[in-house]
Amino acid sequence: MSSPVAHASPALPAETSSASDLPGKALKFGIAGLALTAAGLFLPNNARAVAMSYLVGVTYWTAIAIGMLMLVLIHHIFDASWSTVIRRQFEHGLAAFKWLALLFLPLVLASFLYQRDIVWPWLNLDHEMHGGHTVGHDPLYLKKAAFLNPGMFVGMTAGFFGIWIWLSARLRRASFSQDADGDIGWTRMNRTTAALGLPLGAFSLTFAAIYWVKSLEYHWFSTMFGVWFFANCVRGALAVGVIIMVWLWHRGDYKGILNTNHFHSIGMLMLAFTVFWAYVTFSQYFLIWNANVPEETFWYNLREINHDGSSNQWKWIGIFGILFGHFFIPFFFLLSYRYKVSKHIIRRIAWWFLAIILLDMCYNIMPALKDSHGDSLPLLSLNLVWILSSVVGVGGICVWAYLRSFPTAKLIPIRDPRIGESLTHHE
Amino acid sequence: MSAQPYGLIATFDDVPSLYHAAESVRDAGYRNWDCITPFPVHGLDKAMGLRRSIVPRISLAGGITGFLTGMSLIWWTGAVDYKLIVGGKPYFSPMFAFPVAYELTILFTAFATIIGMFVLNGLPMHYHPVLKYDQIRRGMDDTFFIVIEARDPRFNLENTKALLARAGGKAITELEA
Repeated sequence: MSSPVAHASPALPAETSSASDLPGKALKFGIAGLALTAAGLFLPNNARAVAMSYLVGVTYWTAIAIGMLMLVLIHHIFDASWSTVIRRQFEHGLAAFKWLALLFLPLVLASFLYQRDIVWPWLNLDHEMHGGHTVGHDPLYLKKAAFLNPGMFVGMTAGFFGIWIWLSARLRRASFSQDADGDIGWTRMNRTTAALGLPLGAFSLTFAAIYWVKSLEYHWFSTMFGVWFFANCVRGALAVGVIIMVWLWHRGDYKGILNTNHFHSIGMLMLAFTVFWAYVTFSQYFLIWNANVPEETFWYNLREINHDGSSNQWKWIGIFGILFGHFFIPFFFLLSYRYKVSKHIIRRIAWWFLAIILLDMCYNIMPALKDSHGDSLPLLSLNLVWILSSVVGVGGICVWAYLRSFPTAKLIPIRDPRIGESLTHHE
Repeated sequence: MSAQPYGLIATFDDVPSLYHAAESVRDAGYRNWDCITPFPVHGLDKAMGLRRSIVPRISLAGGITGFLTGMSLIWWTGAVDYKLIVGGKPYFSPMFAFPVAYELTILFTAFATIIGMFVLNGLPMHYHPVLKYDQIRRGMDDTFFIVIEARDPRFNLENTKALLARAGGKAITELEA
């Protein structure tokens, strides 16, 4: 019992001082990352690349926060028991939404004040398409113009963040208040929030994925896109959940609270959502491959070949990163019971998830950045710097928001009606 | 009673005494033995030294068989036995064979899991020698039992009896085969 505590102490010399130190460190990382991203704007003709990279960073962390929101809502709608002890960490994570809304604002401001088509070409009707005509004269745009216009974009984006912040505030207030008074009414309120919040969350995350990511190539059609996004959201949230569980276990907070079965259960969810992600992602590819119509296949062509038929980088990212890295490798690891309950291995799988979800976001966003031939620019370039700095920048702010919320409530919801079942979770 | 009984049965009054008795039977190296309890006792599998079930491996074997069956079914019918171009697609591609292979993976995994479970746990079982023991019905109420079978290589009537007695077992009885 004493050795793990002694082992954890060098990293955290004194419980109180380190606890107050960590958020500040995360905030510094966040500001440094954002500053480096902003510095990229000073390079000539670099604004669009930086803005797209920043979109990757914001979308990535928003996806993880949405995943946490959906997991908490799912927990309440099923009246789940085992996840009660880790639900609190997700509730702290939800504190990031208002900061994410703030961090999304620069993209909107840049689009309207600096350059209309800096990220989304359809925000500028005079944007010239590859091939000569403008967006305003593009029949495919005109058919979709009721959705893809500046007013809808701003209103919907504000609405998405409004929904997420509102649901998060309700969930957090009910859960934290119950710690103090033990009133069963808070649990009932959470169930109402969940029943209302799941459809709201499902629609808002689907439309967010369509507006922010899919519309970068507004010619494209895919009915799977929102589901693809949802699968990544939940996988990201589960991975962050595992990392927090192992971190707090090693620090000593979760000693005597978490047992093997909590890790087994969250590991099973990771496996289930890995299969779900693969099902959705393959279905999207397969249906487009099978129908073989140019309005849809161009999206994958951009991610495979250049205009002269030679392969580009995205082809190898698709095969080794998306097919093997995002599915086969984690799938075969997560099949094993031993790997799911080993804290070291499941944590590594969780970090792998986070890295590969970032790659998936890049795969879906960055090929919209093209050269004069209409070929996608490669990932391994200077743009990778802005992507990574954005991820660290936005991530630092999200981690800071989590750590700032962490000491404001008990480690676990001590008066939740399911807490006893959760503490003695068994197979 | 015949010369060789089915085994020995001992009763225990509560969970802790059964749990510790199971640990001593496990440590004595017995393999063909079991505990009978009125309700599930968490952690008893560890006290008995039981390893995790091998059903998942049977499931995996079923899944791989299903996947290969689906792939080879589409390949054989479309690219070998009756070549037909459909929708301008190649005779065979793993792409359109995937839905079939995927479904058969699930189907064969489910079959392997269910069949593997029934084969391993020996169900359905219509008769078991402990049913002849007149006190056994208390195993559904308030008494715990340990049964050690005579076919266990370490089984020795006197020594096994002594082990059960040392472990706190009461009413140690020989079970009729």
